[in-house]
Amino acid sequence: MDSNSRANEVPAVSAMLDELWLKFRPQIEERLSVLQEAAAALAQGNLPPELREEAHNTAHKLAGSLGTFGLDQGTALAREAENLLAPESTLDEPTARRLLAIAASISVTILDRR
Amino acid sequence: MSHRILIIDDEDDIREVAALSLETVAGWEVAVASSGAQGIVRAAEYNPDAILLDVMMPGMDGPTTFRELRKNPITSRIPVLLLTAKVQSTDQRRFADLGVEAILFKPFDPLTLPNQIAGVLGWN
Repeated sequence: MDSNSRANEVPAVSAMLDELWLKFRPQIEERLSVLQEAAAALAQGNLPPELREEAHNTAHKLAGSLGTFGLDQGTALAREAENLLAPESTLDEPTARRLLAIAASISVTILDRR
Repeated sequence: MSHRILIIDDEDDIREVAALSLETVAGWEVAVASSGAQGIVRAAEYNPDAILLDVMMPGMDGPTTFRELRKNPITSRIPVLLLTAKVQSTDQRRFADLGVEAILFKPFDPLTLPNQIAGVLGWN
């Protein structure tokens, strides 16, 4: 792992990471759709506990995955969503608006990654 | 020097990126498992130099998997590094109390993950 060999490997690793991004992007988009569904349900005042728990877990997974693919802003947004959906958090109208905004921002972040 | 690492994580994207990192950047040998139960079996078969263990997994979670690994004489001495997206200090203290070698955080940088692991385990 000397610095010269590592420097040579960076482009190859980046290319392979891009391939993995393409492979897993549908799965990441599926996770985002759970977050979107929960945000929409909360905005309508009807977020079932099971969907809240699923969205909370999904936000946690997104927080771990997005930054690993270089999307640090996506991780920050997903962490915020995870906190908003935590069992001890209060769910109200401002929370619903913020969750919708977070889901929209994550969607843009995903679309922007080449 | 080559090392053998077992990655235990239920999320296939994280598993594959970590494997890419450890194999391509560091040149280490990697085995993977997608659950705690599978990881316990794989650890005994593969006898890795270290285990990278996800915390939040369905079924058997990371801390439970770690305790099971410690109970088995074949795997009890293998260094375990927890991998987690939990950033709260209460969680970190709880994980540190388990007696793991280190706690690494998601997201991780695939280019620096091997150095993080090597640094913790004195492989530099």
